[in-house]
Amino acid sequence: MKRPSPLAALTTAAMSLPAFAASPPVESTLSVGVSNYQEADVPPHLVVGGDNRRYDVNIRQFRLLSPVGRNWSLGLDLSRETMSGASPWGTSAGVDGEPALIMSGATIRDTRTETSLTATRYGEDHSIGLTLTRSEEDDYEAFSPALSGEWTFNDDLASLSVGLSYSNDVVEPTDAAAFGRVSREERRSRSASVGVSRVIDQSSAAYAGLSVTDHSGYLSDPYKLRDVRPEERLEWALSVRYRHYLDGPDAALHLDYRYFDDDWGVASHTLHTSWYQNLGTWFQVVPNVRYYSQSEADFYRTVDDFGLSLDVHQSSDFRLSAYGAFTFGLKAIVRQPDWSLTISADRYIGNEKYGLASGDPHPARLEFTLASVVLDIQF
Amino acid sequence: MGCPCELRFDADSKEAFSWAVEPCLHEIRRFETKYSRYLPDSVTSAINRAAGASAVPIDAETAAILSYAAVCHEQSDGLFDITSGVFRRVWHPQRTTLPSRQELDACAAKVGWDKVRYSDRRVYLPLPEMELDFGGVVKEYAADAAAAVARDAGIHHGFINLGGDIRIVGPQSDGRPWPIGIVHPLHTDTAIATLSLAEGAVTTSGGYERFVEIEGRRYSHLVDPRTGWPVDGLLSVSVIASQATVAGSIATVALLQPQANALSWLERCGAPYLAVDAELRCRGHFVTEQNGGQDGPGG
Repeated sequence: MKRPSPLAALTTAAMSLPAFAASPPVESTLSVGVSNYQEADVPPHLVVGGDNRRYDVNIRQFRLLSPVGRNWSLGLDLSRETMSGASPWGTSAGVDGEPALIMSGATIRDTRTETSLTATRYGEDHSIGLTLTRSEEDDYEAFSPALSGEWTFNDDLASLSVGLSYSNDVVEPTDAAAFGRVSREERRSRSASVGVSRVIDQSSAAYAGLSVTDHSGYLSDPYKLRDVRPEERLEWALSVRYRHYLDGPDAALHLDYRYFDDDWGVASHTLHTSWYQNLGTWFQVVPNVRYYSQSEADFYRTVDDFGLSLDVHQSSDFRLSAYGAFTFGLKAIVRQPDWSLTISADRYIGNEKYGLASGDPHPARLEFTLASVVLDIQF
Repeated sequence: MGCPCELRFDADSKEAFSWAVEPCLHEIRRFETKYSRYLPDSVTSAINRAAGASAVPIDAETAAILSYAAVCHEQSDGLFDITSGVFRRVWHPQRTTLPSRQELDACAAKVGWDKVRYSDRRVYLPLPEMELDFGGVVKEYAADAAAAVARDAGIHHGFINLGGDIRIVGPQSDGRPWPIGIVHPLHTDTAIATLSLAEGAVTTSGGYERFVEIEGRRYSHLVDPRTGWPVDGLLSVSVIASQATVAGSIATVALLQPQANALSWLERCGAPYLAVDAELRCRGHFVTEQNGGQDGPGG
């Protein structure tokens, strides 16, 4: 293979020196991706009604990030998800007394479109960004502005980041009259976060962050036959991340831990570890494992109780049950000077037995496969 | 910069001229103080003092220069190495005998860009007595940076010459290119050739600039970082490129090789050049008005 001429290589390298960067070549990034998310079917003997095929989601993503002038950048994110399949409506006692699922028919088809616009202003030692996001489904609409800021100090060895966001969501369930569902409800979320990152030495860096989110309004699932949740939820989460580069194998270890707690009684631990292995200059493979465990909400029930009055909180949503989950993933990245291609696959297996807290078996426990291909182009 | 510095600007008025000269000189001095090996509070001194002990925080400009030096190292198969200044400890002007193998090996152990650990924010020399020398990049880069400052100050016609590293700001006011004399490697007050340049940069360097005389023989200050031994190659090389930084790096790498290798490197680079060999023959692409020597092949 013919090597590029040293003149071309040196000129390219020199162009990133500040004296030449004064009139920078406007470098924009365009990113396009497709993903497929497929939930495993529910075993037929655990379904008392409806279809046992769960969600299959196709996701298409488009992202454009472009510098504007010397101090600004503008980003546009578009994503479109097409979902089909059945979702759990509720639970009831099966023939053996164990909980069984009542599923919706397989006719659910929905499209979610999310549009997000970000403007960021860069200063000498800080950046401030404003993001406006709009998300639309047939039965759902959300609008969310978010403000973020980052300051670097101590010769860029440390940085402080803060974020504030607000979201207003409107739910208008389909077939509300036919199924006795609510016709229109609203919910609001407010969130604040603060984080500190620090370079520890030549080859390691760490981050610690805290976030608080407050949800209010209609927080129940309108599609479940009986789902009554509190109208307030206060959540907080602590995250720590550690990165360590190892010279010998030319690889980096990423260790992330997150603790989550809320006033519904749900507490969770997430441990995620990834190994970024460089193979030559152009290729990188990233095996990763994630472990998740949560406790159940105070009002969680394995079997819906239709005898309880409507003001008593109850939910049989598996997302509020006690369970644990493992995700095994593998990612391969090909990097070239002006493009990169990322191919990844993840397998998620959730089970009440994997959790740290003891949980009751839930027929809707989740297993899914996620595969993605993303192409990034700089121009 | 420890070398003659010449600014030639054609400006509309005296005010416009002085308006531009001051910031240019300031920019050149800024590089000198920031990267000087001799000033104790320079970036270079801070990095070298911390060799073998700790990483030193660096700013974006220094990080960009290190990244550029890394590309030069890679493109030149290790000849361009900003850690090779360590060999100055054996090849110093007071030297009267040739250094021993042991002396050279001791230095070679502390040379090697591959050993340097650096990121956008820090640089670390892992062995005591290792050193970085930005001299091979910064003089040329200062000419480019000063030319950018001149243009920002409204100068459209002129050039900046930092000891033979010339960056054109713009052609003469009547649109003609500037006549640029290429210094004669042996008679440094005369020109061996003259070329015309309206834009871009030309840099000239050679082993004639500095040398050590041992037992009646001259040894160039240009040392192959891989062997520690002075290189007997071309007498001088001039290269034209759009930036003085790039032209200077190509010329430096050419001088660090025996003549035949140097000429094939210059051809492979694809930038116009003028090489003067030990017999004072000129070779290259841009001999326009030759003031001495003979025409070489490809001239």
